[in-house]
Amino acid sequence: MKKLSKLLLALSFVLSITTSAFAVTVVSWGGAYTESQKLGYGDPTAKKLGIPVNWVDYTGGLSEIKAQKEAGKITWDIIDVYAKDTIIGCDEGIFAEIDFDKDLAPAPDGTPASKDYFTSMPSKCAVGNILYSWNFAYNTENLKSAPKTMKDFFNTKKFPGKRAIYKGAMSNLEIALAGDGVKAGKGGDAIYKMLETEKGMQRAMDKIKALCTDPNGGCVFWNAGAQPPELLANGEVVMATGWNGRFFNAEVGEGSPIAQVWDAQILDYEYFALVKDGPNYANGKAMAVLREMTSTEGLAGSAKYIAYAPWRKSSIAVMQAGEPWYKDGKTNMVPQMPTAPQNTKNYILMNPDFWADNQDEIGEKWEAMKAGL
Amino acid sequence: MSTEKIIYSTDGLPLEVSLRKAERKNKLKAALLVGPLFVFILITYLFPIADMLFRSVDDRMITKLLPKTFIELEKWDGKALPEENVYEALYRDFYPLAIAKESGKLFQRLNYEKSGFSSGLKRTNRKIKNFEEGNFKEQFIEAHKIWNNVEYWVALKNTAPNFSYVKYLKGLDLKLNQDREIIRVEEDRRIHITLWLRTIKVAFWVTIFCFILSYPIAHLLATLPMKYSNLLMICVLLPFWTSLLVRTSSWMVLLQQQGPINDFIVMIGLVSDDSRPELMYNVIGTFVAMTQILLPFMVLPLYSVMKTISPSLMRAGKSLGGTPFVAFRKIYFPLTIPGIGAGSLLVFILAIGYYITPALVGGASGSLISNTIAYHMKSSLDWAFASALGAMLLTGVMVIYWLYNKIVGIDNIKLG
Repeated sequence: MKKLSKLLLALSFVLSITTSAFAVTVVSWGGAYTESQKLGYGDPTAKKLGIPVNWVDYTGGLSEIKAQKEAGKITWDIIDVYAKDTIIGCDEGIFAEIDFDKDLAPAPDGTPASKDYFTSMPSKCAVGNILYSWNFAYNTENLKSAPKTMKDFFNTKKFPGKRAIYKGAMSNLEIALAGDGVKAGKGGDAIYKMLETEKGMQRAMDKIKALCTDPNGGCVFWNAGAQPPELLANGEVVMATGWNGRFFNAEVGEGSPIAQVWDAQILDYEYFALVKDGPNYANGKAMAVLREMTSTEGLAGSAKYIAYAPWRKSSIAVMQAGEPWYKDGKTNMVPQMPTAPQNTKNYILMNPDFWADNQDEIGEKWEAMKAGL
Repeated sequence: MSTEKIIYSTDGLPLEVSLRKAERKNKLKAALLVGPLFVFILITYLFPIADMLFRSVDDRMITKLLPKTFIELEKWDGKALPEENVYEALYRDFYPLAIAKESGKLFQRLNYEKSGFSSGLKRTNRKIKNFEEGNFKEQFIEAHKIWNNVEYWVALKNTAPNFSYVKYLKGLDLKLNQDREIIRVEEDRRIHITLWLRTIKVAFWVTIFCFILSYPIAHLLATLPMKYSNLLMICVLLPFWTSLLVRTSSWMVLLQQQGPINDFIVMIGLVSDDSRPELMYNVIGTFVAMTQILLPFMVLPLYSVMKTISPSLMRAGKSLGGTPFVAFRKIYFPLTIPGIGAGSLLVFILAIGYYITPALVGGASGSLISNTIAYHMKSSLDWAFASALGAMLLTGVMVIYWLYNKIVGIDNIKLG
């Protein structure tokens, strides 16, 4: 009996080694997001292709993969990254370039992948995965009237109380200008144009500073995506910026008394990037998995579990036909998408080039401003 | 010497030789025993530190990529835009890189020097493939406006040396101007000095608070009967074994404005419901949470030292006519100084490198120098700057250690 269990142990050990050696490793952010990816397209892909897909969590940034590359032992195949990281990773030769029409699956009606995506990619190595939103939400029990616009977010007279905003400059400078009455223009072009100038930058910083030092206002800076809904639910703040998927989860999933506002939302993206010379790069398995996961059906699948929008137009059509699409079987998902027409009346498209260029300098200015609060 | 009689050991060798032989054997054995540890320290500790120090000054990559440009730039005075020859050299360097798709490294590297380089170089990278021979200056300026800006050229020229200390300057909010003189950076970007001071301030106060709270606890631990002191010891150690994040999150629950502590002081009528004090997202939160988390590091060394102090010493002091306070001040306290030294050093050094807790509970004041290091390690990938900041932090710790040695003496430290 003892021998048998030992044998089994050894066998399972060998098995686990071999499967992990053949598996394609996909690295993502963990939590409910990875769960939606795994259930939505990870498992179906593994089943269809017969290639095991192994999910690993990380906390973002390229430091780990850069270290793996420098050490000459790459263990990751596909990484879920921000736009600016696809740009840096592409420049540094960490990621492989993707030919959309050749490497990615066309839509069911034959539309090539490059035409099926909502917008163009920030770099040649990026494959769009989801669109999410930096919007804001409020506690419906703590406010007498409902805020409707970004101006209301900064209006401490009409809506007294503290606000929760992201700890970094990203997203805050954009909404500061929108809240100060700057028209977003087409996809927020006007905002970024203004931020390029010294004066516009100062104006945005001043707006945030005014909000945070206002005795009727005040700021709480959040770090992690789970914080904004929590801060709203326990009454620490009356309004909070955050990621719409988290708000949706609190609102629909947990029934918290919060409501979302979509005016001047910042549409941001998540991408997949294929690691050049990863363990399954040469044999083409990593690319096959990437192709399957980002297919029309694949991307639509993840929206069953989380309120982030698939990047393909054809995926939205699949969802529409299958409503109610949410896993609870009674919530329509298309109106919850950041890309839904009623949510994109006034929106800002996150500009990764602007942030790739200026993040360090703005970061220093931002911290200096925060130090003076 | 020669007249002295040589003593022989039993095997016929001179005693001196035989002794040395035995000694050598022992030394070798000792070395073999220490060997694995030494290799371990070398690989996991000394080598990474050396690597970090090297990275912080290594700047060869760019010099290797743009050799001709730097030769031409040497003669440039940095006042007005460079002449055609520099632009041509840049073209000769850049063009092959662009064709071979190897120019990407330049984008990020130069963007660390000056914001805007990344997009400027990227645009140039696309357009350079269509450049025509001659009149490069005009073509570069047309490709992107950074080439029409002296500041970018100065930034480029300043990266010329193979090894440079500019990252260290940057860590002190300083930079080089076109004459390679050290000047301060623009006023709205001076952040690192603020962060250094804040880090030291937080570490200093946390050490003081830890000391004030730990001293009585350690004394109780050392003097109570075993039955109670064991229980107390568990109370000290239990949080020590709990995850850092769990403890920080617990503090967040307790300290928030609608949290139990605030509820309590409202309930007993200390403050009114709408003027609840902010106990978190400011320095109070940082101090409270960090002090609690680092407390065991002060209690344990103090306890181990106090345990060795015989109670008869205090009795002797009192019987010689001292008041309890005098006896404490003249006898007990001086004997505990080694423990105070060890605890304070431990807490201070740990606190100076802290960043998760202050980031979560400290609000706007919660970013310390370690957060900046983490940012440059993970997000901006400017590992050279992260290394320089790390080296500066290390130097700071060593200075404190040296000061301590000067003032108190390092032999006076006792961990148990």
